[in-house]
Amino acid sequence: MIKLTRIDDRLVHGQVAFTWTPALGVNCLLIANDKVANDEFLKMAINLAKPAGCKLIIKSVKEAIIFLNDEKSQNLKILVLINNVKDAAELAEHVAEIQSINFGGLRSKEGSKLISKAIAVNTDDIEIINQLANKGIELEVRQLPTDTKQLAVDLIKNIAV
Amino acid sequence: MSVSYILIVLIAMFGHSEDFLGTTLLSRPLVLGPLVGLVLGDLTQGVIIGATLELIFMGNIKVGAAIPPDVITGGVLGTAFAIISGKGPAVALAIAIPVSILAEMVISGLFVSRSLLNKRFKKYADDGDHQSFQRLHILSGLTKPLLMGIIILLALVLGAGPIKSFLEMIPLWVQTGLQVAGNMLPALGFALLMNLMFNKTMAPYFFLGFMLAAYLKLPVIAIGGLGCIIAILVTQVAPKPNTDDDFDDLEEEAPIENTTPTLLGKRDIRSVFFRSMALEANFNFETWQNTGFAFAMIPVLKKLYTTKQSMAVALNRHLQFFNTSPYGSTLILGITAAMEEQNRRDEEFESESINSVKMGLMGPLAGVFDSLFWGTFKVIAAGAGTSLAIKGNLMGPILFLLIFNVPHLLLRYNLSFIGYKAGTQFLQNLAKNNVMDRLTKGASILGLMVVGAMPATLIAISTPITLGSAKSAVSVQEILNQVMPAAIPLGLTFLVYYFVKKNVKTTYLLLGLLVLGFAGSIIHLFA
Repeated sequence: MIKLTRIDDRLVHGQVAFTWTPALGVNCLLIANDKVANDEFLKMAINLAKPAGCKLIIKSVKEAIIFLNDEKSQNLKILVLINNVKDAAELAEHVAEIQSINFGGLRSKEGSKLISKAIAVNTDDIEIINQLANKGIELEVRQLPTDTKQLAVDLIKNIAV
Repeated sequence: MSVSYILIVLIAMFGHSEDFLGTTLLSRPLVLGPLVGLVLGDLTQGVIIGATLELIFMGNIKVGAAIPPDVITGGVLGTAFAIISGKGPAVALAIAIPVSILAEMVISGLFVSRSLLNKRFKKYADDGDHQSFQRLHILSGLTKPLLMGIIILLALVLGAGPIKSFLEMIPLWVQTGLQVAGNMLPALGFALLMNLMFNKTMAPYFFLGFMLAAYLKLPVIAIGGLGCIIAILVTQVAPKPNTDDDFDDLEEEAPIENTTPTLLGKRDIRSVFFRSMALEANFNFETWQNTGFAFAMIPVLKKLYTTKQSMAVALNRHLQFFNTSPYGSTLILGITAAMEEQNRRDEEFESESINSVKMGLMGPLAGVFDSLFWGTFKVIAAGAGTSLAIKGNLMGPILFLLIFNVPHLLLRYNLSFIGYKAGTQFLQNLAKNNVMDRLTKGASILGLMVVGAMPATLIAISTPITLGSAKSAVSVQEILNQVMPAAIPLGLTFLVYYFVKKNVKTTYLLLGLLVLGFAGSIIHLFA
């Protein structure tokens, strides 16, 4: 069962290990990222931050889709982590269970603008966000579980691109 | 009066300089409250008010870019007005809560506008001009204390008169109501902490802590000590994994010998440690701690790269987005120093790997160190500190700083050398021996026992209800004390925790508790 799907370009860090994991009561962190899945060093580093009593699964985006569509994954309470909007869209397209995506952190990049304290998007991101929103998927911006949800679509309207 | 105003502003500016001073909790109400009290001639009251505010803001933590209400501005102004008006802690919190929320908005604005400086930093980096670079980092760091100092001065000068006459109009029953409501608010702080730490498997440790405090009346420090022992015992019993590759361990545990002469000396690494204290001085919402990282690396870069061009390349490298827990930052800085040294020595070295290691480690290590320091050391420090300070004991704030910062600074100092000498090998050993798993488990046992002790020792709520007629009246509280002391504080904490779990907004919970306490006091349900 997916408890939350979160876009966070630092993947596992303080907010995830220390606030989201206990607040959601998840017992599995699934990292869907092609780069990390093929990098032993990054895997090792993320493994260090694994919260106590939590399973850590690192897969490429494709494998993550297969995993999430497997019935066995229903027995786990999963927090899915991706580090960019594109991967999130791909997951949402192939995993019907994902009806809501949390925007946790996206650092500034070339041509991007801040729509919230920790979320910067560029035109490509905005296009994907609008497509996802049109499909009826909730796109909410929250750094911490106790923050108030803001909709990414509304925040985008505030910036002129 | 004007001299004391200036001193109060200086105290607040000192608090707002914490980003220069290693995020060492100097800015907490428990520390600043006594200082304000000292200036206004009532140290004891300052200690008590500081402790009251600390309890309420206990669940507010700074992780990542999530900026909590500004307890510095709120706490200093609240404490000052409460002492000036002589109305006590209830007034302090009535002022501190709204002010801290407003001040947080100002600070967020500052963090956004600091991004404008990034072009400047880039230019200095391109020129290889590390002196201007570090000057700008410091100047930008000064903007926060200066800006907030001005705001606080204005608030004091303009606000003191009106607020004082307003406070004098408050009738006694409102004051009593506020007092009871204020005594209830720590339940919110505890519930927020529980939200981070409490779950079914860990619940026994919470109740163990509660019972030690409620029935045996053990002080928080004793419970912390017992928690340490239990945590060590439990993690020792836990099965040690990977027993099959014992032989590999033997081979690899040989100390890593660095035979090549090092370009960097002990002094350089020590200097990186000291500069890491200013990691967050130029915190901004675009690139976060990047210039802080570069600032800390400059002693190393200066030694390694003597030409303008090579310095420019190196400075530019460290301009990339960076954010990690300040408490473990020196580990990454140390590892980076070793890699920079290798980059200098070895033509073949791929300098890009420096940033990929930095980027790979910053998130996970933030997870480790934020949990350890916010979830364990801060909790124990605040629990022990406030339980003394709430009675007016000056040892409270001192103990608070010591419990947090002795382990913090020792670890932070040593991590810079461990990072430099052992590099990523150190982390690989940690990962292999599952040290982290045992450490996080032990730390959460310890933290949760102390949190469990808090409702029993730090929420002063009882009920004045009596049963039966006047002559044979039986006090409900006395019955409770015999069956389950601190039942009301515990129940209250779980009630708030239930709503926190339901995702009710913190502001609503705060208001709800205020109303409950106020109404409860008026109808003589609570005292």
